[in-house]
Amino acid sequence: MEKLIYSFPASKTIEQRAHVGVVGSGDLEILVEPTDENKTVVEIRTGITGFQDTWKKVIERFVSQNDISALIRINDFGATPGVVSIRLAQAVEVSLHGANHN
Amino acid sequence: MAQIITESLVESLARERAFQLLDQGSAYEILGPFDGLESPHLAAQNIVPQFDDGMIIVKGTLNGQQTVVISIEGNFQGGGIGEVSGAKLAGTLEKVLKECEKGNTIYPVIIYDTGGVRLQEANYGLLSIAEISAAIVALREYVPVIGIIPGKVGSFGGMSLTAGLCSALIMTREGRLGMNGPEVVEQEAGIRELDARNKQLIWQMIGGAIRKESGLADVIVEDDIPNYQNAIQSIWSGEVELQHRTKKVDHYLSLYKSLDVEVKVTPEQAKEHFNTKPAVGDAELPAPTEAVSSTGRKWFDLLANGQPSISEVPSVLVADTTINGVNARVIAVVPNPENNFYRARKGEIGLLEGWTIAKYVHQAMEEDRDLAEKRLIVPIVDVPSQAFGYHEELFGIYLACSAAVDAYASARLAGHPIVAALVGNAISGAFLSHGMQANRLIALNDDGVNVHVMSKKSAAIITQRTIEELDEAAKEVPSMAYDIQSFKKLGALYRLLDGVNAKEPNADDQTILVNAISEAYNDIQADSVRDLSSRLKSEIAVSSGRKASIQVREMIAAQWR
Repeated sequence: MEKLIYSFPASKTIEQRAHVGVVGSGDLEILVEPTDENKTVVEIRTGITGFQDTWKKVIERFVSQNDISALIRINDFGATPGVVSIRLAQAVEVSLHGANHN
Repeated sequence: MAQIITESLVESLARERAFQLLDQGSAYEILGPFDGLESPHLAAQNIVPQFDDGMIIVKGTLNGQQTVVISIEGNFQGGGIGEVSGAKLAGTLEKVLKECEKGNTIYPVIIYDTGGVRLQEANYGLLSIAEISAAIVALREYVPVIGIIPGKVGSFGGMSLTAGLCSALIMTREGRLGMNGPEVVEQEAGIRELDARNKQLIWQMIGGAIRKESGLADVIVEDDIPNYQNAIQSIWSGEVELQHRTKKVDHYLSLYKSLDVEVKVTPEQAKEHFNTKPAVGDAELPAPTEAVSSTGRKWFDLLANGQPSISEVPSVLVADTTINGVNARVIAVVPNPENNFYRARKGEIGLLEGWTIAKYVHQAMEEDRDLAEKRLIVPIVDVPSQAFGYHEELFGIYLACSAAVDAYASARLAGHPIVAALVGNAISGAFLSHGMQANRLIALNDDGVNVHVMSKKSAAIITQRTIEELDEAAKEVPSMAYDIQSFKKLGALYRLLDGVNAKEPNADDQTILVNAISEAYNDIQADSVRDLSSRLKSEIAVSSGRKASIQVREMIAAQWR
């Protein structure tokens, strides 16, 4: 298991927290919680080691498209970069527009 | 072409499943992912945890009735039961039980999608499943406990024992219900016993359709939400009659006694056997001409004080005796190389053994029904495993184990003090069926006394690790270890007895165990509690062994509304 942490400046707040996904084969779980620290902090735990560069690119791309003050926590079980991006988009969608069971 | 839109339970994640079943807008989650109660034991082994530990508790209403749905996430670690996930399920059922006792009826529904014990937490799973079982048996007296097996993983391992205890089971054709997963049977018994890749055969053996046709499941539904809701309602309303299968001891015992498995029985033939009333014969079962020595038998002979076994099944020994002046029934499972069930010849708990234990525990309850002082029951635990075999799965070994669990749990609730004596191996489903429901557990401090959930070889295959890696992990996580000193660290043992020769006991060894049993008996009698909560209250449990289990229960109570 590898732990990665990224932090980026942010300015916009989000409405609510969000939870999507599952720590299952080829998938991941994402928690998004609003913060008022003008930062996007991404904490990742992944079972697949040695892909820091790929994670960095995926997260940078996400942050460049989404300006949100949030703590994003990820539990990854071998999701591909495509799946990671889709799940992140889904999590943001929920935290902006609701439709979450929590 | 008409388009039929179905709302699938099978294709949904555990959380969606729970919310989908309940009345829209009525439901809220207890101990959700934001509460951050994840497994402390997975990260310690470098395994990525899940924020809710794969167990989802959602409370709301269904058709206006107070309902709590506990849904297992099969995608996370195969739906395996660890300390936190197990405590979430057990703790919820215990809370519902408390509410029901107060007259506040809440209907529990469990959605199964699980391979059983989470091997990375091993003995925590075992302890949790014992507590889940205990809660179901107590709760069933107030309200039907409904299990749903929609399918993907199905329900296996120790969790299938709890499924067998449910008041009613709803399945789909895609659902599977068995004790030992096909891969484990193949690993333990060989490919000629069962080819795990033969999917068609597997579904014919343990799939929802045949389980229903054989009378082991109650309702079979097509995978669409309203169908499940209707099925639940039909069980609540009494339209579907509750079968109380684990109480049908005579029926199932006669069936298995009359069964010939020398030639492989096909699933079709098995169904016929299930649906034919078995002849009530007094057929003598083949017994060894000379008793096979085993640790369990030696201790049985010592504790039974020379009383012969009254059991009709040679692999289960039963005797009534006195232990320091207290009336007691002693029960042991021993090898029988002549056992018709060739996968249960080395002292394993198989179809006959599970139901036979159930028979003699129920018999003691029946005989003592009007007595104020119920007989002490002492399971002598020296069981290498449950029986891994094709016929065992085909004929529902999980239910035989459920029946034994039910018997012990019911006896405990009825006031029979139960003290289990761990003198040898106490492994997996066998220990769950024979010993784990006791009020108190006593073990001998000996390297021959082991508690675990699966052989190292099988555990390595299933978790895709080497045996060396497993041994390494066991150093960090005591619940993974096999030895009794590690098990003690979980806080469930009442006594660990030093200086006893477990394998060759003499009169002095006997005295030490007998005195410890007496002490446990007095401890039970001094206490009005009849559940298993003492395992969570010991000093070791509170300070280290069961911290997460205790915290989960406290948080469930705090978030309950």
